[in-house]
This record gives sequence, structure tokens and C-alpha cells, in this order.
Amino acid sequence: MKKHFNKIILATAIVLAPIFSFGQYCNHFHSSYCYASENEMYKPNGQSKSALFSKGQTSELSIIVYKGQDYRISLCMDENLGSQVEFKLYETVKKKVEKVIETKSMENEMKKCATCSGSGEADGEMCYDCEGEGNVETGNEVEVVSKETKLVQERVKELLYDNSADNYATEIEFSVESTRRLTIEVSIPGSGGGGTGSKTKLIKSGEMGCVGILVEHMTTPITGFYGTGF
Amino acid sequence: MKKQSKLALALLIGFPLVMLTSCGGDEPVEKMEEEIETSVNEEEGNKTYYQIPSPDEMLGFIKESGLEFNGELLNPIENADKYTIPNRQALNFGIYSADLAYTASFEEFDKTIKYFGTTQKLADQIGISSAFDEALLEKVQGSLDNVDSLVAVTNDSYFSVVDYLEQNEQGDKLGIIAVAGWIETVYIVANSTDYNKDKAAVERLADQKLTLENLQDYLAKYTDNADVVELLTVLTGLEEAFASLEEEDSGSGISLKKKDDGKMVLGGGSSIKITEEQFNAIKNKVSEIRNNIINTEA
Repeated sequence: MKKHFNKIILATAIVLAPIFSFGQYCNHFHSSYCYASENEMYKPNGQSKSALFSKGQTSELSIIVYKGQDYRISLCMDENLGSQVEFKLYETVKKKVEKVIETKSMENEMKKCATCSGSGEADGEMCYDCEGEGNVETGNEVEVVSKETKLVQERVKELLYDNSADNYATEIEFSVESTRRLTIEVSIPGSGGGGTGSKTKLIKSGEMGCVGILVEHMTTPITGFYGTGF
Repeated sequence: MKKQSKLALALLIGFPLVMLTSCGGDEPVEKMEEEIETSVNEEEGNKTYYQIPSPDEMLGFIKESGLEFNGELLNPIENADKYTIPNRQALNFGIYSADLAYTASFEEFDKTIKYFGTTQKLADQIGISSAFDEALLEKVQGSLDNVDSLVAVTNDSYFSVVDYLEQNEQGDKLGIIAVAGWIETVYIVANSTDYNKDKAAVERLADQKLTLENLQDYLAKYTDNADVVELLTVLTGLEEAFASLEEEDSGSGISLKKKDDGKMVLGGGSSIKITEEQFNAIKNKVSEIRNNIINTEA
């Protein structure tokens, strides 16, 4: 026993050390702390995500929701981030818009050639001073502004839902009638406050915390009688 | 007490104390806050994160649509040993992950075990074997009599890879795997669908126009990786095929409203339309890209 005593102590130290390590990642936060739907037809969607947020920060998640499916999006967060986390849903589309693009450049300032008075010719031959151009450089530079109208693709967001108008609800369910790209925007309030009701994990610091977005999906149930019966 | 015992005891007591010190106390925590704040501020300019649907969502859908399983569409397991270049290994890990989701969705249990083994082997080759462990393999084997559990477990294996790569800041590799998985999924759907009979599947294929845009936006963050740039170039061919699809306006603006039955519905706006010619063009292009990826002679 005495022979193995040192080995036992060393092994114990190695095993215990990780328990006291400082966890820095929010991965799996949404699967551990967001409340999944009680409806067993819902399945976890691969577009769920968790991330570390600081107070006052806003971040966006772009997801695709398909026609013919129901989605449930729920939010969970560390308690120190407060209970009034803002959660907005936008549709984001790419639209081609005309934009006037202005470019500025410095070019050589030109003036009329004194030798040929701008004609490019002197005594019936090409003016050598301006090489027949009629203009010569002054040695100064001037700013030239050119404008070009181009067709560019821009992202346009249209607000669909704002949880601040829904008592800061942390979940929403909906059916999709037409496939869409949605942007989920999460904003953490700038000042802290206590929160209740959601599960928490170890608080990392007063100004930071994990936020999870759990996305679940199922095929939209067909309601009512189907078919002609007998 | 002997010297060695003193040393061992010192380690036992001192090591955890060092860890606790790094967790507690005001000064070390404030330092960490500063470091994290800096990194958060740097991310402000890139505040949108583009997500990519996982293969199971699409493949579960095609089963519910009534499409039949076609084993001919799978990348043969025998090809796995022939991918020797890391980029091709990563791409085909994505391909096989989608095949795994396909076999699991259609309750092809024997194939599911084989494809799980193949993804596990490739995971080892591309350095993500930590995402697969014996416990996961046992769960797969234990789920063979229940399709819902099998689908859930194979999804877990995909999600564990995603988590692993995100935790290890390998977003570029994740993008390559996810794109390859998406290409395989679209390939399977396109080659399982009859344009004139499978309306829902055809519409779902057309909707991939939006998913492709998200994929490209995701990959755009990693253009310092030459393999990602090459993949983006390959995707432009598919983008051109999807670009011809027109969006038909429903006449009403998009809305998220509560219906009479209390259910929220996202409706209105426009929907993507696809002709048979466009469907075939997309099918041919995605098949070409996919076959290039699985080609063992490349």
C-alpha cells in the first residue's frame, strides 16, 4: 500500500484538476438549457446555435425555414444577462437596387497649350509642346469626381416579430407557407438585472453570458378530414 | 515523510488551488473580461452568422413525401479508402454524412451501420475523431430497432462534429463538410424526384436557392483558405443554374400573423418557381459537382 501511495495521490491530482478548470465555452448551451417543446413531433434543427454575449451586444443568426414545416424558436440565456433579452425576427431578401457610386481620383490639371493656342498645330505641323493634344499639364493635381449608376445586390430586412411587444416572450412557433430566409436578431440589454424562470449555468462574469437559440421543426400537421372517406 | 510523498501531496493540494485561483478573485476575472471584450468588439463588423440546414431535415422530408430509397445514389463505401488528400477527405466526409442521414431516415439499418463506420474512419483521417467515440457507436447499434432513435443518434453524430469544429475554430473545415453534405442531399433529392409527380419535392429543390445563398455567405468568411475558394468557384456553376428561377409574388406582403385557430403562420410574400427545364439543369449541374467530389481518380 505504501508503495502505491504516491501513485494514488498523483492519479487523484490529475483526475481532480479538470474539475476546477474554468469553462469558457457556450457550446451545447441551447441543448442543455433551452426548454424543448413538449410536442414530441418536434425535432431539434441543425440551425440551432449558442454563443457568448456581452451586455449591450447585438448579433444575428440567418436560418432557412421551409414551406410545409412548423418551426419553434426558443431563447435561453444566463441569468446575469437579465430577463428582457430582445429577440426579433426579420425576413431577409437580396434585392437588386440601383446605386450611384461616386469615385474620386486625383488627376493632372491641364491647360491650353500657349504655343498652338489649343489647336494642336503650329505652322502647319504638329505642335511639339503639347504633342498635338492642344493641352499641357500645369504641374498641379485636381480632384475629379465621377459618378456611375450600378445595379448592386443589397440585403433588405423586413421586421416580422419583436418580442418586446410580446412581453419579452422567449419562444415562438409558426407554420411556414413559403420557404424563407429569416434573420434572428438577439440584443442583450446594456444594464444588468435579475432574471427568473430560465435554467442557468455557472456565471462566467457579470458582463458576459451564454445565449442559446434552439430551433425545432416538424412537418405541418394536416388538420381536418382528408380524402373522400368511403 | 519521504521527498516523493511530499511532492505528490503538494501536487494534490496545490494543483486544484492554482485552478481555483484562476477562477475566483476579482483581478484575474477582470483580465479575462478585457480579453473577451476585445474579441467581441472585433466581431461587431461581422455580426450575422449564416446557418446551414443539416442533411436530416431535407432527407426526413423526402421520406415523408413518399419518395423511395435508392441505394444506387449512395457513394460506395469502398471509395472511402481512396481519398488521400485532406480536402477530398473532408468533402467526402460531408458526402458520407448525408448518406448516413439518408440510410437512417429510410430505416436501412445494415447500411446505416456501415456508413457510420465509414464516417468514423474518415473522421479519424481528417482529425475529428474526438467527435466520434465508442459510446456513440454503441448508441447507433442500440437504436437499430427504432427508426426515430436511429435518426436522432445519427443526427447527434453530425451535431457533435459541428460542435467540435466550432469549438476548435475550424469553421473553414466545417463549411467544406457542410457544403458537401448539402450537395449530396440535393443530389439525392434531385435524382429521386419526378418533376411531373413529386410537386412538393420539386418545390423543396427550388427552395435550395436560398440555402445556397446562405452557404456562400458562410464560406465567404473563410476565403483565406484555398480549398474554400475552390469550393466557392465550383458553387458558382450551381448558382447560375438557380439564378434563372423566378420569384412569383403572392400579391400580399410577407407577414407573421395569428390565424383564427390561434396558430401563427408565416405567409405572403413571394415563392420560387421552377420549370422542368430548370429542374433538369439543376439536377445535371449538382450531379456533375457531386460526381467530381466522389471521383476517386481526381
